[in-house]
Amino acid sequence: MKYIALFILLFSYQLTISQEKKEITIKFENLKKIDVLKSIEAQTQYRFYFIENWLDDTLITGDYYNQSIKDILNIIFSKTDINYYISSDNKIFLTKNNLISDSLPSTFFKSTQKENKPTDSIITESIQYNENNIIQSDIIETIRIGKQNKNTNKKKYILSGYARNKNTNSLISNLIISVKGKNINFVTGSNGFYSIELPIGINLIEVKKLGLSSLEKRIIIYGDGVLNLYLTDDVEELSEVVIDASKDKNVKEAITGLTQIKTEEIKNIPLVLGERDILKVAITLPGIKTAGEGSSGFNVRGGKEDQNLILLDNGVIYNPTHFFGIFSALNPFTSGDVNIYKGTIPAEYGGRLSSVFEINTKNANDKKVSGEASIGPVTSNITIETPIIKNKSSILVGARGTYSDWILRSLDEESLQNSRASFYDIVAKYNHKVNEKNNIQTTGYFSKDQFSITSDSLFNYSNRLASLKWSHTFNDRNYGSLILSNSQYKFNIEFDGNSTNDFDLGYEVNETELKLKMNYLLNDKHKFDYGISGKLYNVDPGNIDPLGQQSIIESIEIPEERAFESGLFVSHNYNANEKLSLNLGIRYSFYAALGATNNSIQRVYTTGLPRNQTTLVGEESFSKNEVIETFGGPEFRISARYFLGEDFSAKASFNSSYQYIHTLSNNTTVSPTDTWKLSDSNIRPQQGNQYSLGFYKNLKNNTFEFSLEGYYKTSKNILDYKVGANLLLNQTIEAEVLQGDGLSYGIEFLLKKTKGRLNGWLGYSYSRSFVKLESDFAEEQINNGDFFASNFDKPHDVSLVLNYKLTKRFSFSGNFTYQTGRPVTFPVGSFILNGVERVNYSDRNAFRIPDFYRLDVGFNVEGNHKIKKLAHSFWNISIYNVLGRNNPYSVFFVTDNGDIRAFESSIFSIPIPTITYNLKF
Amino acid sequence: MKKINLLKLYVIIFSFISYSCVEEVEFENMDSFEDVLVIEGTITNEFKQHKIKLTRTFQFEENEPIPESNAVVRVLSSSQDIYEFQEVEPGEYLSTSEFSALPNNTYQLKIITASNQEYSSMPVSLTSTTQINSINVERQFNGNGTDGVAISVNSFDPTGNSRFYRYEYEETYQIIAPFWSRFDAVVVSENPPDTEVSLRTREERVCYNTQFSTGIIQEQTNNLTEDRVTGKVVRFIASDNFILRSRYSILIKQFVQSPEAFSFFETLNELSGSQSLLSQNQPGFINGNITSITNPNERVIGFFEASSVSEQRIFFNFIDFLDRGTDRLPSYIVPCNFTAPIEDSALISTIQRRSLVFFRENDDDQNIIPPGGPYVMVTSECGDCTLIGSNIVPDFWVD
Repeated sequence: MKYIALFILLFSYQLTISQEKKEITIKFENLKKIDVLKSIEAQTQYRFYFIENWLDDTLITGDYYNQSIKDILNIIFSKTDINYYISSDNKIFLTKNNLISDSLPSTFFKSTQKENKPTDSIITESIQYNENNIIQSDIIETIRIGKQNKNTNKKKYILSGYARNKNTNSLISNLIISVKGKNINFVTGSNGFYSIELPIGINLIEVKKLGLSSLEKRIIIYGDGVLNLYLTDDVEELSEVVIDASKDKNVKEAITGLTQIKTEEIKNIPLVLGERDILKVAITLPGIKTAGEGSSGFNVRGGKEDQNLILLDNGVIYNPTHFFGIFSALNPFTSGDVNIYKGTIPAEYGGRLSSVFEINTKNANDKKVSGEASIGPVTSNITIETPIIKNKSSILVGARGTYSDWILRSLDEESLQNSRASFYDIVAKYNHKVNEKNNIQTTGYFSKDQFSITSDSLFNYSNRLASLKWSHTFNDRNYGSLILSNSQYKFNIEFDGNSTNDFDLGYEVNETELKLKMNYLLNDKHKFDYGISGKLYNVDPGNIDPLGQQSIIESIEIPEERAFESGLFVSHNYNANEKLSLNLGIRYSFYAALGATNNSIQRVYTTGLPRNQTTLVGEESFSKNEVIETFGGPEFRISARYFLGEDFSAKASFNSSYQYIHTLSNNTTVSPTDTWKLSDSNIRPQQGNQYSLGFYKNLKNNTFEFSLEGYYKTSKNILDYKVGANLLLNQTIEAEVLQGDGLSYGIEFLLKKTKGRLNGWLGYSYSRSFVKLESDFAEEQINNGDFFASNFDKPHDVSLVLNYKLTKRFSFSGNFTYQTGRPVTFPVGSFILNGVERVNYSDRNAFRIPDFYRLDVGFNVEGNHKIKKLAHSFWNISIYNVLGRNNPYSVFFVTDNGDIRAFESSIFSIPIPTITYNLKF
Repeated sequence: MKKINLLKLYVIIFSFISYSCVEEVEFENMDSFEDVLVIEGTITNEFKQHKIKLTRTFQFEENEPIPESNAVVRVLSSSQDIYEFQEVEPGEYLSTSEFSALPNNTYQLKIITASNQEYSSMPVSLTSTTQINSINVERQFNGNGTDGVAISVNSFDPTGNSRFYRYEYEETYQIIAPFWSRFDAVVVSENPPDTEVSLRTREERVCYNTQFSTGIIQEQTNNLTEDRVTGKVVRFIASDNFILRSRYSILIKQFVQSPEAFSFFETLNELSGSQSLLSQNQPGFINGNITSITNPNERVIGFFEASSVSEQRIFFNFIDFLDRGTDRLPSYIVPCNFTAPIEDSALISTIQRRSLVFFRENDDDQNIIPPGGPYVMVTSECGDCTLIGSNIVPDFWVD
């Protein structure tokens, strides 16, 4: 009984009002009912959902001509206890006894309920509680917590526990626990722990999560207690229910500018060379852009590429891409959800101005071995999850690699034989549940790229990261975690053209962070997060060494850099009333540039004059770990949500932050040689403020999600470059850079359809991004000191992602992107000075490269959906850039012996078809 | 068959990713061309007629800048002197009177173009004076591993005020025609063809050629404790360069620059240098110290300077730097070939056009050169240096 009720509950989400009337002609003789249903399925689009033993084995006969499905079913089931419901997408759900209603239960997902007042009246009700009051047909389990004590005047108690998957015993994160009609909600974190405060007496608790059967429990609470929740997988309609659970999160959450991407959602999106890619999906959402195909960073809300904190299981990834940014370096099989904070950044994170990409690796299955594999034209990918100690610890290992090197080498074409292009990445996550109160998880990640940029150079880079997290629950109200992480990014260029200029160049950045984060639940209105973090940076900006005997390159070594960054944070989540929710965060950020070696040099320039060779007056020497310069200040992370109506909210936020590490990015070239530079006595930290306001509305039972967000951002000390600046291995880099003001604003529109045969989204943003480099000195002033378009200012950006399910197994998908071309600096003429022909350039970024547009299409075939099947397979056939549009990524100019030569780099100018085979076991 | 096709696809993809993603494109700047005034102007502490050059930017398809003619050009000094400049050649303006820039004065360049646009420089003052101490000539290998002679400058400013230097040079080399003869073939009659041999009437054996440095050669001593330029190579000549064949002379001028002028020219140089795909300079417009009064947003290229200058000249013969056993002097500018054309109308026109020059008579005393005409003629430059130089001995020349 209970099972069926849950079944109904689940499916009632997706029922819609409209029904189609289709006529059917069918004839059958002495068939079992099940066979009749099968023959209807065979002839029509209708699909039946039921449990086989509901149907008796009596044989039936019938002959219908142009009858509606309803009429036929009415006759077939006329003398049985079977009811049915026909959904708009031709699904027929059979139920035993219960009739499915077209409309949602009125309490479903409503956070505000007029008839219920969660105050004293409830207490009265609960004291009079009597078992006979339970409605007869009720199938909800009732659980009593604590003993009734008439002498207490305490009106609220805490219920806590862990949520687990009944089948795998894994902890369930992002599970929504809500108390019906009482505006009490909790979302579990990665540790699966929940803790809610309930008013004394009867509470109806509802537990929801994508892909899991929902659960309802009636809790009668008279004291603090523990209740562990066990949920089962929802086998059927997985993807659709998945989207449901956090459906109104966009409307409900108090923070602005949060984008969530679920791995499951992106399965059907057309692929580039067969790679499913979370970060590529991110850039189809408004507010997140790249400078172009093949750019390795992201520009979030008009911010520079270096302003994004990309975290994989709490560790920083400096370069999250492979192959110039064509693929993301994150394994799609191991990645769970991705949260992108582009508006309000949680107070626990700091150090970047524009956004935080929070990527969590899935927890491994600790019950049985499972895995996923894919074979594509460029890469193969395999992921295995296995328990180490059943129900206690498990490990997930994912590995991905290219075999292009092998392909290139096996070709006859001589020009290609020596070229190299390969990458791989490995991720492993280990989970160990020590006991009810302690949980340990550790992640290791390594990615490496190696390829030739020109035929005689070899470029390689790698990311390495390790993180360890210990979560501990102190009591019902307090829990926390201690995180230790270390990341390293390095690159190396070897240029071996058998010339006198052969060289070998290396760069490395390394950081280690220790962070303590605590959560304290005061009551259902007040929740606190607080903690402290400390991070040590070590940068080895590199060395260049001659390669071979005849090389005349001089060895150059740029001295190492070191710095310490720390943050102290508190954030308060306050549900002021049913409508207003506030998130008040403050973080004190502190930074100290330290001497890296015992003779660390800081160059001193004449104050009040532009920094260049002519104003360099001396050097100051520091010993190891001696403080060179300190910076710091408070950062505010404030946001508020107000319900304007049912499923309609407005949110506003203010976000400020400091950033102490900058990239030196020479975006006029094709090479991904961005290096990171720490703030020091000559380079100040960047500082940014963002104001945003948004409106969120869900329509038709969350089938449509609509959001409109606007933002206005100002920033200071944004790094840019003087005319003529050369950044690679420059020993006086501070004399090449300028720091100026940034300004960006924009409006983002997103319409998402999450259910139905046709789903997808349409995103549009109008956004501008400017830089101002103003100075009293011509050398330091760019474009007359006025605001000018930044390198990634792309005002119009449209993305349409659509997925159409033909049948349960076949689907089409397509996505279309249009963007204004990015600004570039153009040569605008020649002139002769001192007898040499030279090139006159335009104002910086005064021109634009052609607009970008691209259409990709895909066709997906899923294997059949037998539950007991050994493995599930999935084919994806896609064509990237169907229109064959040559979208230049950059246009740049090289002066060679007085001649100006123009180069255009583009990544995929032809349609790229791919077939990928995925296997899940 | 299918497999091969698939492999081909990979080739396309990977050649694309590996290195074909950068392709050279035809570049035309028809749409983007910006017409900008270019000003070259340096006044010095030399007492002379100073020169200001005005041109305009030109499109990439063109080869020559357009001169800015008929402009009113003057330099104003803080001591109320006005020096007028007059156009002597299109775009080249010379001061009507001789003057020298003086210390403790500031100078400002004012220009009004024919289209009535007014431009003005920032006031600049004369930089401090530093003498060239010596010029060294040394046989060495340069940065590219080329064998040659390096001509370098040493200078020292004990006051430490100079610090920023720019160099120009004028080099003069002697040309000695290797197959010169005292005699020449002259045409007596075109029809019938008749020629005779007579003495040459002018100097055609030893000539001189002078060329000026181009580009920007700079040096700074700002990060040194002493304001001392040591061994700054201003000119490097490869040992196979024809100009080293005979006596050679170079005049090196050392300009002391202001820090602002130094960094302007330095940036200009950085932008024009050859760059690899791996290390690009940030391109952009370089602001000088000249602005438009009429339209402050108009862009102007150039830097007006008042530089103190010092110069020194040296002479040397490359042969003194040679290792007699193995080294050889550089070969003549052109290969010298001999022929003896038959006396006919073709020979007449050869002599008249001077496309070949008389070397000797084609007689039995020496080898008879085919096809056996009356005179052995040589490649013209090999017998007459005036075709590639001037036969006037420069005033400064010391043998």
